[in-house]
Amino acid sequence: MPDAPIPIRLGGQPADVPAGSTLADLVAAAGHAADAVATGLNGDFVRRDLRAATRLAAGDQVLIFQPIVGG
Amino acid sequence: MNAHTAIPASFSDGWSVGGVPMASRFLLGTAGYPSPDELAKSIAAAAPAAVTVGLRRSLAAGADNGFIGRVHQAAHAAGAHLLPNTAGCRTAREAIALAQMARELYGTRWIKLEVVGDEHTLQPDPVELVAAAAVLARDGFVVWPYCTDDLVTCRRLLDAGCPVLMPWGAPIGSGQGLLNPFALRTLRERLPDATLIVDAGIGAPSHAAQAMEMGFDAVLLNSAVAHARAPAAMARAFRLAVEAGRMAWGAGVIARQDFATASTPVGGEAFLIGAA
Repeated sequence: MPDAPIPIRLGGQPADVPAGSTLADLVAAAGHAADAVATGLNGDFVRRDLRAATRLAAGDQVLIFQPIVGG
Repeated sequence: MNAHTAIPASFSDGWSVGGVPMASRFLLGTAGYPSPDELAKSIAAAAPAAVTVGLRRSLAAGADNGFIGRVHQAAHAAGAHLLPNTAGCRTAREAIALAQMARELYGTRWIKLEVVGDEHTLQPDPVELVAAAAVLARDGFVVWPYCTDDLVTCRRLLDAGCPVLMPWGAPIGSGQGLLNPFALRTLRERLPDATLIVDAGIGAPSHAAQAMEMGFDAVLLNSAVAHARAPAAMARAFRLAVEAGRMAWGAGVIARQDFATASTPVGGEAFLIGAA
């Protein structure tokens, strides 16, 4: 029997990810190209090259940012 | 001696930020344009030294109707640098994290540091701003802080390692122009060696010219162009106003006085009829 999904918050919204997921997995599952976004975990920046080694845990708060126009 | 006598006689005087030469004294925001085409035309018409960009929280991949792609193209064509911002941040910690993300996404150490302390006026929080600036400057960022015109806060930001200061003219997007010319003049006079850019609140080209005539090094604005009926035409109007204001600063604006001084040298009275 597979492990239960892990409850996290993505962009402030509740979400479940498969057990054992990494931040890189989540970025890919959300449909983003790895180099098209920047990521934060529990308020801290996570570098692109560290996402694959960053395993998600229950209660983690993940933010994904995209480039936009700005003033 | 007036401060402006120190300006070189040439009006093509250059300026730089963190050792990087800037091609013009006009910086343009990229938000709120009616279309990507109009945005690209406005950047071309403005010929800005830099254009500001941002970051947005995202749940899933999605298009932005081509805006950011056009920004990259138009900025490259115009020779403008990208200046990412930390819009939406309320604390130093948030701003530091977002700046780090911007550095990775945009490939630049430049960051327009915004840390808002009041939701109604979008007034910067000086305590959080200075704290974030110090951390980011130590981390190698070139920090462009959006700040108020408070002299002491500006000094703290310089002490924190900011190579440039960006005091507001008025609240963001208000178009009210330079609400406190006294404070801005004081900044210019008390920080003669600082690079000062009026950012936010500028609504008309005359406001930009006024800032430049006061000796500011550049202006940054967004809404006044983006929300104009003809954004590209307004971008050109601002470009000309910034150039005119800078030239006026270099040429030396005359001092105000409360009395009239005849400009035509008629030598007393024009007619001698009735003279003895």
